[in-house]
Amino acid sequence: MGGCACATLAPGTLFLGMNPVEAQEAAEQLDLAGKLALADVAMNVAKSLGASYADLRLCRYQSEYFEAREHRLQESSAGLNAGFSVRVLLDGTWGYASSPLVTADEVKRVTARAAEVAKASQPLQLRKFVLEDVPVYQDRWDMPMKADPFKVPVDEKISKLLAINDAALKAGANYATAAFAFVREEKFFASSRGSRIEQTRVRVMPDTQVTVIDKTTGHFASRDGLAAPRGSGYEYILSYDFSGEAAKAAEQAREKLKAKPVEPDDYDLVLDPTNLWLTVHESVGHPTELDRALGWEANFAGTTFVTPDQLGKLKYGSSLMNIVADRSQEGGLATVGYDDDGVRTAGAEFPIIKDGIFVNYQMAIGQAQLIGQTKSNGCAFADSWSAFPIQRMPNVSLAPNPQSCSLEDLFAEVKRGIYIIGNGSWSIDQQRHNFQFGGQLFYEIRNGKLGGMLRDVAYQGNTIGFWNSMDGIGGAETYFLGGAPNCGKGQPEQTAPVSHGAVPARFRQVTVLNTARKVLA
Amino acid sequence: MILNESDAQALANKVLALSKADSCTVTIGGYESRHIRYAQNMATTNGAPGGIEVRVESHFGKRSGATSGTDFGDDALAVLVAASEKTARLAPENPEFMPPLGPQKYAAGTGFSPVTESATSAMLASAIGPVLREAQAKNLQASGFLRTDVSFSAFATSNGLFAYDRQTGVLHTVTARTPDGTGAGWAGTTHYDFGKFDAAAMGSVAIDKAIRSQKPSRLSPGKYRVILEPSAVSDLIGILVAWEFDQRAADEGRNFATKEGGGSRLGETAFGKNVTIYSDPNDPVTPGGVYSDDGLPAQKTMWIENGVLKNLQCSRYWAQKSKLQPVPGPTMLTMVGGTASAADMLKQTKRGLLITRFWYIREVDPQTVLLTGLTRDGVFLIEDGEIVRPVCNFRFNESPVAMLNKVVALGPSVRTYGEEGPGLPVAAPPLLVDEFTLSSVSDAV
Repeated sequence: MGGCACATLAPGTLFLGMNPVEAQEAAEQLDLAGKLALADVAMNVAKSLGASYADLRLCRYQSEYFEAREHRLQESSAGLNAGFSVRVLLDGTWGYASSPLVTADEVKRVTARAAEVAKASQPLQLRKFVLEDVPVYQDRWDMPMKADPFKVPVDEKISKLLAINDAALKAGANYATAAFAFVREEKFFASSRGSRIEQTRVRVMPDTQVTVIDKTTGHFASRDGLAAPRGSGYEYILSYDFSGEAAKAAEQAREKLKAKPVEPDDYDLVLDPTNLWLTVHESVGHPTELDRALGWEANFAGTTFVTPDQLGKLKYGSSLMNIVADRSQEGGLATVGYDDDGVRTAGAEFPIIKDGIFVNYQMAIGQAQLIGQTKSNGCAFADSWSAFPIQRMPNVSLAPNPQSCSLEDLFAEVKRGIYIIGNGSWSIDQQRHNFQFGGQLFYEIRNGKLGGMLRDVAYQGNTIGFWNSMDGIGGAETYFLGGAPNCGKGQPEQTAPVSHGAVPARFRQVTVLNTARKVLA
Repeated sequence: MILNESDAQALANKVLALSKADSCTVTIGGYESRHIRYAQNMATTNGAPGGIEVRVESHFGKRSGATSGTDFGDDALAVLVAASEKTARLAPENPEFMPPLGPQKYAAGTGFSPVTESATSAMLASAIGPVLREAQAKNLQASGFLRTDVSFSAFATSNGLFAYDRQTGVLHTVTARTPDGTGAGWAGTTHYDFGKFDAAAMGSVAIDKAIRSQKPSRLSPGKYRVILEPSAVSDLIGILVAWEFDQRAADEGRNFATKEGGGSRLGETAFGKNVTIYSDPNDPVTPGGVYSDDGLPAQKTMWIENGVLKNLQCSRYWAQKSKLQPVPGPTMLTMVGGTASAADMLKQTKRGLLITRFWYIREVDPQTVLLTGLTRDGVFLIEDGEIVRPVCNFRFNESPVAMLNKVVALGPSVRTYGEEGPGLPVAAPPLLVDEFTLSSVSDAV
């Protein structure tokens, strides 16, 4: 096939005269002609083996990770991870295979291996998979950003981390860690239907923690940073006052050691969006995934209490509850031009909960027809070149109150409650009923006013009861975009980056536990 | 992609020869696997993924930098080494830097099976067929995942160390559910030898449990005497030993093993006297990797012996600073079992619960290793020594540190698998435990 020479990653002699880093970058930036040629190889082999559908994902991940502990750098590393996978549908049965060797011969071998896997699995195919039509695109999409983190000098990034720790230690922390992770994800997608799509996006993931200890009691307390990971350039790092937060965190961790233990009881809660985004993720994002409702995750991530017969009927929450899904929000970790099935995401935004009623599932291809619908809403994702795309969360967010409402407005109608900031531990059952969440900071609310710090707080609830108890939410001015880089699902397990916007919200009479224990004499 | 020992060593030597740094380490790892994933009694996303990666860490004095890549071409390796050296030169000095180790002696690995290495997708499908047929015959829905893999890892240093390990693995987990969604059962384990693996038998266990767990009743939360099946035990002891047994954190005052007034509890009786947990890479039931952190040989290590906290993981730096021996992390874990049969444990239970496995375990408080999570796929009420009926799932809030002080009886230790643990090969016994804290009821099935 044509273009074989440029379809390999080996730099050969083409890059003589370049410095090593330039040569590496040039070698691994496979040009579009090379990618198109490899796509033709995969599609032709798949067709010759009888596949009714095939796609190729050719990916390259550039990464950097820096981690500082106190005044020293613990890790400075970089990576370039590239490879491809081919997925085929053969007589209604899926098979896929992958390889890090990006050559035409290897694409042939891997496509044949994918077909062999599908054929071997056919005796287990009780019902054939059928895929709906997806419009064909030839396109390129690049995430907009102002400052490429990979072009920021390494020593500048390291200095910033050390400065964050220095601020924490000067403010009284005994220990401090700060880390930055950066990923550039480049994907080329080709399908047997004719789509050829190139995409690039970047993730920045800060992570900080300060710890204080009390040697006399043997107790310690930590305070994690509140900065969320984002789909953004380095401008996000520059815009956030990490050192200021680290200093404040050290003082707050010290205050935690002496804070009043919470009395277990039912309380009104005001949840800061730095806490609530994760509750949205676990108790709304996951239950409304169609593959779970279909039983496809029964052996691992679980099923869901949200069954298809409840579509358009289930009163999920109070009428203040509006949950929107998109893959187009600026800064969103799930934001991308096309999903990993080749479905365009612009214009595919959809509500999940509208005025408290469940109205839409998240879907990948091959699912909509199973609940009487016609097409995917663009929620497929594969976390690497070696993974099979499955339904994963788009950005799933709690829409703000259309009217202005501040935190203080929410506190004003609480006689006895707790205000919770940041994420602590989190856990929810496999059908998404029963959850328990912690936090980073807890404050009493008494007679409408914020009081002193509490400690050892966790709240437990049941999804439907909890969301129906929500009687106040913040306005657009209180909106915060949280998120996680590593949401787990699927077998083999895949981790997906996903963002969740949220505003502060008030929930009535939620069960609060005291988590302190004495385990050793 | 798999490299044999000589090819891996040749590749490592090629990288080391390219190095201009004061010292250098090379890590290479690769795998080839096959899997059948199934749900609703049929195959879903079946695959044969594989991969390989090389990582180079360069050092100039006490400055370090690392790069990794998937391209093994000569020029690409030169670029990789040069990039790691550039990164190292930009790094500030790390006062805790430890020079790479020299040659070490390693035991021969025992966790490799040619049967597993040569398993085909058709063989995997044949192993799953009986599970699906039995589920259909009993009007149940089976979902699961069967994977075979072969993997290798190699580690080399510019000071002459070379370590190589090759392993095979088999994992099968299966969930059976009743069509009305009121019953669910699970079984799962790992092995290194596909020839000794009976996927169909595991399917039968899950199917039997699904049938027996139908239409559970609600029970009040509280403290219960519980029989924890090995999978549930493996999650809790895996999290405790692999993630919390840390000498430095204990010495620094931020660990469950920190003593009031400072220092660690090493050498103290911190657990019940019937508790012994060790790691041994050449364990015949559950072999593990032959080398660990920094290329240190994995050795038989007692973590808890008759209740005494015998070892905490200790890095080479912290060992040197604290005048201790380095203790590398475990590459497998075994909790020594006892002789109690299932009938013995039931007999000792006037009122209690039988718990199959756990789900979504997270740490609530690092001070006490308080964990929360949920029971899943089979909880049964025991009254007067007999299993009387299925009950709804619970959320637990319990510390494995506390739990290992409340073990009443132990059954035989078996190779097992927990979805929530650290991913090491684990052998664990079923345990009869007093006063296990179940804090709320879950409606999930």
